[in-house]
Amino acid sequence: MEKEFIRETKRTITLNVTGGKIDSFREIEKTTGTVRVYENGCIGIAGCLGEPDEAALTEKAKEALAFGVPYPCKLEGALELEEVHDAEILPIADFIPTMQDFLDRLGALCPKFAFSNKIGLEYSRTEYRNSLGRRLVSAGRQFYVSLVAQNRGSGNLFDTFFAWDGDYFNAEELLDEFKKEYDAFFRPVTLEPGRYPVLAVPDQLLYRFGRHFLGDLYAAGASLLSGKLGQPVFSDRLSVKDDRNPATAQTTCFFDAEGCVAPDFRPTVVENGVLKGLMTTKKTAAQYGLPDLGSADAAYDGVPEPGFHKTWVEPTAETLRELVPEKAVFAVVASGGDATPEGHFATPVQMAYLMENGELVGRLPELNISGEFFELFGKDYLGTVHDAPLPGTILSAFMMDVSI
Amino acid sequence: MVQFRNGFYADVRVEDRFCTVISYKDGALEEMKNPVERQAFLRVYDGKLWYYASTTDVAHLQKTLDGLYAAATENPRILEDPIVRRFERNRDTLDSFGGCSVRDVPLRDKQALLLAYLPLLNEDACVKLAQGMYLDRNSQFCFQSSLGADIRYVYQTCGLAFSFSMAEGEKKFSGHWSKAGTRFDELQGLEEAIRAALREHAGFLRDSVQAETGKFPVVLSPEAAGVFAHESFGHKSESDFMLSDESMKAEWQLGKTVGSPILSIAEYGGVPGSGFVPYDDEGTKARKNYLIKNGVLAGRLHSAQTAAALDEGLTGNARAKDCSFEPIVRMTTTYIEGGELDFDQLLAPIEKGYYIKTIHHGSGMSTFTIAPCLAYEIVNGKLGRPVQISVISGNVFETLGLIDGLTKDVELLSFVTGGCGKMEQYPLPVGFGGPCVRVSAMNVQ
Repeated sequence: MEKEFIRETKRTITLNVTGGKIDSFREIEKTTGTVRVYENGCIGIAGCLGEPDEAALTEKAKEALAFGVPYPCKLEGALELEEVHDAEILPIADFIPTMQDFLDRLGALCPKFAFSNKIGLEYSRTEYRNSLGRRLVSAGRQFYVSLVAQNRGSGNLFDTFFAWDGDYFNAEELLDEFKKEYDAFFRPVTLEPGRYPVLAVPDQLLYRFGRHFLGDLYAAGASLLSGKLGQPVFSDRLSVKDDRNPATAQTTCFFDAEGCVAPDFRPTVVENGVLKGLMTTKKTAAQYGLPDLGSADAAYDGVPEPGFHKTWVEPTAETLRELVPEKAVFAVVASGGDATPEGHFATPVQMAYLMENGELVGRLPELNISGEFFELFGKDYLGTVHDAPLPGTILSAFMMDVSI
Repeated sequence: MVQFRNGFYADVRVEDRFCTVISYKDGALEEMKNPVERQAFLRVYDGKLWYYASTTDVAHLQKTLDGLYAAATENPRILEDPIVRRFERNRDTLDSFGGCSVRDVPLRDKQALLLAYLPLLNEDACVKLAQGMYLDRNSQFCFQSSLGADIRYVYQTCGLAFSFSMAEGEKKFSGHWSKAGTRFDELQGLEEAIRAALREHAGFLRDSVQAETGKFPVVLSPEAAGVFAHESFGHKSESDFMLSDESMKAEWQLGKTVGSPILSIAEYGGVPGSGFVPYDDEGTKARKNYLIKNGVLAGRLHSAQTAAALDEGLTGNARAKDCSFEPIVRMTTTYIEGGELDFDQLLAPIEKGYYIKTIHHGSGMSTFTIAPCLAYEIVNGKLGRPVQISVISGNVFETLGLIDGLTKDVELLSFVTGGCGKMEQYPLPVGFGGPCVRVSAMNVQ
């Protein structure tokens, strides 16, 4: 009988912001434990909230084998690796005064905005062991600002977001960028309907097509990508990976739920336009004869399932100006859109800026953008830039139909 | 449960959650589990800041509570605080599921129920990947506050969810069908309903055409109308968004006309189903609240914090996704009230439009969106071919004013998958529904 043991701890400190003032402090530390055992082609799983008793969980997992859940035993082999990057970002005792000072400065810079929502710190640690000698430890940290901005008097739930996450806090850097967006917000501009480069966080588009990258759907012939593994299907400038690299994905564990460690900690889905991988677990990879991508996810008491954590797109440009030198639409909030079964994608864009020469020009009215799946990531894919406008940000550009 | 101290407001919420998940994919067992989780959320308020903690160590709540007391500052006048003065002091025990708890249904019976339905998913060769799930939840909630509130109630849902990915040649389509209830025996005898759903989805795969884009009259089914009510106006009625900007109260003054005179949207946590919240997570008893009554802004949803800030009454809408989070203002069951027409009368005046029968998802801000799954064209007052639509959207207030027809019958829906998302707290079970709703113009893409 083979076995895996996983222990996860997540500590979060969260401040709630209302009207630019901190009104609550929440500190949560949550530990979970998991044991999976494999025997006769089946998996048995036991999980717990709180500090795990490995022996007791192992017994429960053995009992769960009786459910008869089929799962191949394909554990990863011996490897010892630690990536621990969990040094304190800010002392907890200083967190409220430091953040209130930041909010006061932001409020002074952006007086027409009322800010609310969350600012937080996260520290996470995952330990994985299996009976073949694999021992992995991943620990990360993250500071995040997630502020909803209401334009006073607009009557709207929110008008725009100011958000950032990373493994440090630099007030000047954030205030400088947020002030640029604030100034652009109050410069209304218009745009004739037509085709324009649309700049967006790549997940805003990829998310709606995510299911087509699922291994089981692919194998069943029900994915738009079915039959195309190993083939060039997108722009040869497009490379898409699942980011588990501690350098850029601070709180994502560098290995997946089954202990897989990808080269450069980034399992590859698309490389230079070629479909290289699909979202799989060890089970679906074996069942359908697909490469094991190593991006499995799992609840603490659940069977592994295909997952995707943080999209990483290979950069093609050094700067925003290089990526979109002419007029471009920067889609900041594009919520509620979807794609038809044949891949026609459309979404309203609730908050967009006009950009020119890579700089914010002004705020556009609400608009709609649309395009076709294979074209968006094919001939209409313009490229990707990293660390703009803020460090850690990834923005991709697509030529799309824009209507207002 | 715990000893409260004077000079602070505090409450403790404990959930004992029993769940069952049984999942099959293409006829093979994928997952079977029935965990029981116990978790607590504790709050201390000193009149200036709230201090929160969540713990799975339910046996030592006093230690966690004392930690929060240590962080807060004693306030001898805490009982005069406007938030604290609003809290209700209900004492009640409510178990609507005595004798029919899903905890008492053997796992093998749940598995057998699901297994009996699974072969139906493969009756049409176009189904390439089929998944079936049985899901249930029985939560025993306990809430106590330093003001003397002591509430115990039980929440229960159970249901079946099927998804099917279809392909025929180059045509692809994915659909879903689900049935949710509160008692296990409600899930029997669904064969014909499942078969009918599969036939309709297969027909959509084979015969659907791309919809014409532009502005058209649209008829929303109870499911789509419920999402519309939830997304278009329900979220706007959550008062926490009014706290940051002082001008919001004038902008959202009660009595203002915000929609068609035939439109009334209500919200009530007492409706059995997935949005059942007889007491909210601050101990407030559920009551029916009108958000819009005959087109006029009639009310909004509150926690004690927002009710105090806006000097309005409690509504029973302070909810948390689970005991990892603090309660914030959320919906329970939100629905549009019925009108006077039957379905044929609703369609009759439409020369060219669309009927949205089922949906993938919806969202709502100043613009709301609905991503349809099954949709049909309406031609000369009759339903026509199935059509593919990426998204329908509209400005919320314009659309509320363009509602010009409602059917008499109202359907309230429950769910065992998905839920409502608000910032970090997703998914929260809610219910929604309504009649069929006709809107004279919506943007179809």
